[in-house]
Amino acid sequence: MKDVVGVIYTARDEFSMRELASNRSVSALPVAGRYRLVDFMLSNLVNSSIRKVGVMMQGNYHSLMDHLGSGKEWNLHTRNNGLYLLIPYRSGDEGYQGILDAFKDNMEFLRRSGQEYVLIVGGRLIYNTTYDELVDLHMETGADVSLMYTRFDPVNGEYSRFSDSVRAFINVDESRRVTDIEINPNVITCPNVLMDVVLIKRTLLMHMVDMAASHGYHDLYSTIIRNAVYDKTLKVVGLEFKGYCRRMETVNSFYNLNMDLLRPEIRHELFDINPVYTKTRNDAPAKYLPGSQVSSSLVADGCVIEGDVSGSVLFRGVRVSKGAKISGSIIMQDCFIGENVELENVILDKDVTVLSGARLIAPRRYPIVLGKNVTI
Amino acid sequence: MRNKQVVAMLLAGGQGSRLGLLTRVTAKPAVPFGGRYRIIDFPLSNCANSGIDTVGVLTQYQPLELNSYIGSGASWDLDLTDGGVFVLPPYVQGSEGRWYSGTADAIYQNLAFIDQYSPRYVLILSGDHIYKMDYSAMLDYHIRQQADITIAVRPVPWEEAPSFGIMNTKEDGRIFEFEEKPKKPKSNLASMGVYIFTYSQLKKYLVEDHADPNSHNDFGKNIIPTMLKDDKRLYAYSFNGYWKDVGTIHSLWEAHMDLLKNPPEVDLNDKRWPIYAKSPVMPPHFVGEKGKVENSLLTEGCQVYGQVSGSVLASGVIVEEGAVVRDSAIMPDCVIKSGAVVERAIIAEQCVIGENCRVGESEGDIALIGNGTNLKPFTIVKAGQQANEETLGGGETV
Repeated sequence: MKDVVGVIYTARDEFSMRELASNRSVSALPVAGRYRLVDFMLSNLVNSSIRKVGVMMQGNYHSLMDHLGSGKEWNLHTRNNGLYLLIPYRSGDEGYQGILDAFKDNMEFLRRSGQEYVLIVGGRLIYNTTYDELVDLHMETGADVSLMYTRFDPVNGEYSRFSDSVRAFINVDESRRVTDIEINPNVITCPNVLMDVVLIKRTLLMHMVDMAASHGYHDLYSTIIRNAVYDKTLKVVGLEFKGYCRRMETVNSFYNLNMDLLRPEIRHELFDINPVYTKTRNDAPAKYLPGSQVSSSLVADGCVIEGDVSGSVLFRGVRVSKGAKISGSIIMQDCFIGENVELENVILDKDVTVLSGARLIAPRRYPIVLGKNVTI
Repeated sequence: MRNKQVVAMLLAGGQGSRLGLLTRVTAKPAVPFGGRYRIIDFPLSNCANSGIDTVGVLTQYQPLELNSYIGSGASWDLDLTDGGVFVLPPYVQGSEGRWYSGTADAIYQNLAFIDQYSPRYVLILSGDHIYKMDYSAMLDYHIRQQADITIAVRPVPWEEAPSFGIMNTKEDGRIFEFEEKPKKPKSNLASMGVYIFTYSQLKKYLVEDHADPNSHNDFGKNIIPTMLKDDKRLYAYSFNGYWKDVGTIHSLWEAHMDLLKNPPEVDLNDKRWPIYAKSPVMPPHFVGEKGKVENSLLTEGCQVYGQVSGSVLASGVIVEEGAVVRDSAIMPDCVIKSGAVVERAIIAEQCVIGENCRVGESEGDIALIGNGTNLKPFTIVKAGQQANEETLGGGETV
């Protein structure tokens, strides 16, 4: 067990995700057929032998609470430590203005955690790794703050400076020390983008939160860490992550992630390196009826398929009736697709019913999104 | 400890030798079934759904896999502060320790376990059937009839009756005669191996049976006939749902094929009567560009790049491009290599079926590949043949 307490800062409801995140935190987004985004962060922490995890919630956190429960699925339902759901009792519906506000509201959690270090993990990214190397780097370099980053990929990076979220780009020297940091730049000059993973001594973090409160700071990167990098008052180091990593920022980033999962090498990176735990439902195996045609698709348990499905992701309990044709689409749990329905490049949220004969065809660059419980 | 109305005892110690290589290293109740289940998931889920929260699982043969599968019982919501699921192996009492000599002896040796809960009734189950049954309705019947023992029965086709334990009953369901495999059956009501005893009677008869050196210590051979002779109140409880004995390779294969019927004989997706199972922690299954799947069940972790029809694939099974799986049950984590054809076969856990192997035939008996077998390319395993690495002398090479 590590002397580290994990904290997941769950993302807010996000305008640019349209209906997908209008009623749920981005961290609660269903992904990959049977998971929620937060499963990856929680599994990463648990796979790093971190046994105490706080999840800082905001906005509409109902679906997150429902999903996380006692933390049993992640083996976090322990007598000591385990899972802590940190409810935004002071910020109300508004959500936090930044991560430091969230820590200010949850100082008691920090104070009572006996661990020497805090690992802060942002809840809108997807990747599979352990944080072991980051902890080692922190100790070896004697750093005050250690960050994880990836090379910025201009094609898949989905960077928009109009997004609500803070994007921080950094430069790192040969000794791995962070030398420059840009926040939501117009023109990106630093080659690396932060993964919202920060390792820091718990007492130092508590000191920062106090300082933020008195200076009116809300966000960690654009204030305290940026100042520390420029003033060299703190030693800030970075660790590059070379694996598959995506950030859920827009509908397109969500769509592209799911389509990436149809490639074996991406599935390998996201699922085979360390196990990814999630809440289980007792669905029966997926059933393929005579006449079904399925290719290049990811299909979860509980589905019953009678029609054609290609290049798509089907979540649990989806029913595809006879004569229906689905391609390039993401169909979330318990959707019903009627006979002879045609869907191309469509994202259906949970419990959507598409009645017989309907046709929904969208360009791949702008998938149609149907919100929860809709019937068309 | 708080008293319980009813405690269930699940007999899971049988060797299951009729399942051949499948039970060489696995107790029968731990044999995988239906893609994501094991046989024991059915009685355990029935208990959980019937509100029976205290279950003893009696094991003695190859218990390791079963023990680790049951774990804390959390998969069936049976990890409770009061009650839950308990694995009960034979243990040393005083200076003596011995194996369970029969079904009745297995319960006798665990009377101390049952006594902890002072139940009024004890439900006795076996771990080799696929069925969904509300035991609480049977218990209500038992109480209403003021029975000493209630035996669940189901009607079987008359021509099959001679191969079962048959209950001859009066109109009100009271059993007046029990015949084990009668040549000329008087009734077609076959025992399902599910009993509810009033505990005081069960205890009395088990103690007496234990004292009798000539007894086989078996419910069917000894306890039930003795209770009949004593004119105890024995009642038959009729069950009309799907019930399948999966004690032989053929019946296990048939039970898999029953799942593929539309609608299936036993609905595994019934939200009101879920069958719980331990999750394999794997992503959804994937069907590749050239994969073809028809009339089959697939579950998490499967990857199909070849052809699958009329089959049930368990978690983590990989069917490579150019491989064909037809009318078969493939157990967890098997790999069917390219060019291999598997037909009317059961492949046990963690096997590799090498390139261009032929396992099973389109007619005849079911072929079986034992646990962990690595079948060399071009091996032929004929209909009805059982193969593992030791017996592979029997497999021909082209």
